[in-house]
Amino acid sequence: MSAIAIPHPPLAPKRGLSTWQTWGLILLAPYVLVFLVFVLYPVSYGLWLARHPESYKTLFEDPVFFTTVINTIFFLLVAVNLKFILALYLSGFFVHERRWIRWLSVIFIIPWAVPAIPTVYSIRFMLNPEWGVVNSLLFRWFQIDGPNWLTDPQLAMAMAMLVHIWKALPFWTLILMAGRLAIPKELYEAASVDGASAWQKFKYVTWPSMRTLYVTSTLLSLIWTLGDFNSVYLLTGGQPADKTHVLATLGIRYIRLDQLDHAMATIVVALPFVLPMVYFMMKRLSGDEQKTS
Amino acid sequence: MASVSFSQIQKSFGKTPVLHGISLDIADGEFMVLVGPSGCGKSTLLRMLAGLEDITAGSIAIDGRVVNELDSKDRDIAMVFQSYALYPHMTVRENMGFSLRLREEKRNLIEERVAAAAKILNLGPYLDRYPRELSGGQRQRVAMGRAIVRDPKVFLFDEPLSNLDAKLRVAMRSEIKALHQRLKTTTVYVTHDQVEAMTMADRIAVMNEGRIEQLGRPLELYDRPANLFVAQFIGSPAMNVFDGAVKGGAVEALGARWPASFSKSGGLEGQRVKYGVRPEHLEPASSGIAAEIVVVEPMGAETELVVKVGDTSLIVMTRGRSTAGPGDRIFLAPDPAHAHLFDAASGLRI
Repeated sequence: MSAIAIPHPPLAPKRGLSTWQTWGLILLAPYVLVFLVFVLYPVSYGLWLARHPESYKTLFEDPVFFTTVINTIFFLLVAVNLKFILALYLSGFFVHERRWIRWLSVIFIIPWAVPAIPTVYSIRFMLNPEWGVVNSLLFRWFQIDGPNWLTDPQLAMAMAMLVHIWKALPFWTLILMAGRLAIPKELYEAASVDGASAWQKFKYVTWPSMRTLYVTSTLLSLIWTLGDFNSVYLLTGGQPADKTHVLATLGIRYIRLDQLDHAMATIVVALPFVLPMVYFMMKRLSGDEQKTS
Repeated sequence: MASVSFSQIQKSFGKTPVLHGISLDIADGEFMVLVGPSGCGKSTLLRMLAGLEDITAGSIAIDGRVVNELDSKDRDIAMVFQSYALYPHMTVRENMGFSLRLREEKRNLIEERVAAAAKILNLGPYLDRYPRELSGGQRQRVAMGRAIVRDPKVFLFDEPLSNLDAKLRVAMRSEIKALHQRLKTTTVYVTHDQVEAMTMADRIAVMNEGRIEQLGRPLELYDRPANLFVAQFIGSPAMNVFDGAVKGGAVEALGARWPASFSKSGGLEGQRVKYGVRPEHLEPASSGIAAEIVVVEPMGAETELVVKVGDTSLIVMTRGRSTAGPGDRIFLAPDPAHAHLFDAASGLRI
């Protein structure tokens, strides 16, 4: 009688690790190491630095902090929403299949593709009230003295938002374009035959299909914008009189003043903003996965 | 209900012409099928009627009124798409009532019309479901329901059954036909499937490369195809066609004499022709043209044989069942009354 060998998965030995488990651990180790060294340790160290209640007391008593919180909320609400309304509108324009629109979209993407530091500095030079190109042109064309773009706190804040929108708009327009392109063309044709106007097509076809993407992108952008350091710091440096700081730049101010514990406390107070957004974001994403699976 | 008239319709995409002056009149209440291979321009013609494509030249009239410059919504048409194009975020009820809602009709009227259409199409139990919760056939019926609710002058169907499996396609074919008989609405139906065309149409326009090759009733096209293209496109399995020459009242081809009845006797002697005969008119007989069986395909009620005459493969369709097998030699007796002759150069019927 001949025995037939039936292949079967390797049985786990009773003691020690199987080959599969050992390989699993070996492959997992680099990630765990990176996570420990670059995430867990710095975050824990930051929290440890920010452990003193006095840090928060001093922080809340600092008038700059209060202005910064207001600035941050204002920046998030206005810049993110304005950016997304514009991105939604522009995505509708850029999906048109015309050669010149394709070329224009390439130009449109440039602000997002270029490095932040030189471009924001360029804008800062352009907005210089004495020798910047903006005020020079205003004077040459309209014989008016342009405003002090970066020394008036409100105007400086508005400029920082503008820079943020200008820099991030192409990316979000691209994301929303992808969402629009995923909508079957026939739905619009059916809506045309059914008698829908352009607005009704947006309301009944485009928006219901894009709503999830739009809200998820907005949440993600809120998180990213909260951490946007470049647009504000490179343009205004938090000036004039520390009136244009946002939470992302305030930490640097305290570090410069050699108050590392305050800097860390600034980051910790941002967590009540960030964590709920991260939570909702992850919940939405996992919810969407379940829906599509 | 309304008549539809295409007059010298031309269409170009950029510099590429796709329709070359199509003229076609569709009568009030008629079921017209536009059939042809992919890229023949049939869907483009339908989409021009729907107002979804610009008209390069010519005019389209619905009920005597030229609609070239009218938007889709003002043409009083309803269209069923190949992909169904149901609004995914609306229930069946909302999908069906959408056009009436856009017209700001009263809620009662919308409910009434949707209920009536749902009854016709057996969609009652599904009214509160979303399209993703329906099968392909049910979605197709919702798409038809959406069209019916509008009570349009003309129904347009753009390959509506292509996404369904074979069995469901046959069932839906009958449903659409029955629906037309009930509503008597003028219908323009585009398909690449000649069986659909044959079974559903009052008249068929066979299209090829942006032109109408032949227009007529289904059996007219089948029995008297105007040219080689129509002869080979209409009918399944396709007509057997091969080269030959007229000699002594018959056609010499594939080393044999093939009988034919000539409408223009005499002047054809010696002419190069294409000889066409449908598979069911090529019955096996006790004597005739010798052939060798290559493949036997029993289908129950009939049997399809692939045979070789010389080096050419022909299809033979016999009623009932065949005891013959591959390698057997048989004789074929073509029916001269059903032989088709086409000019070898122009492809036109002789």
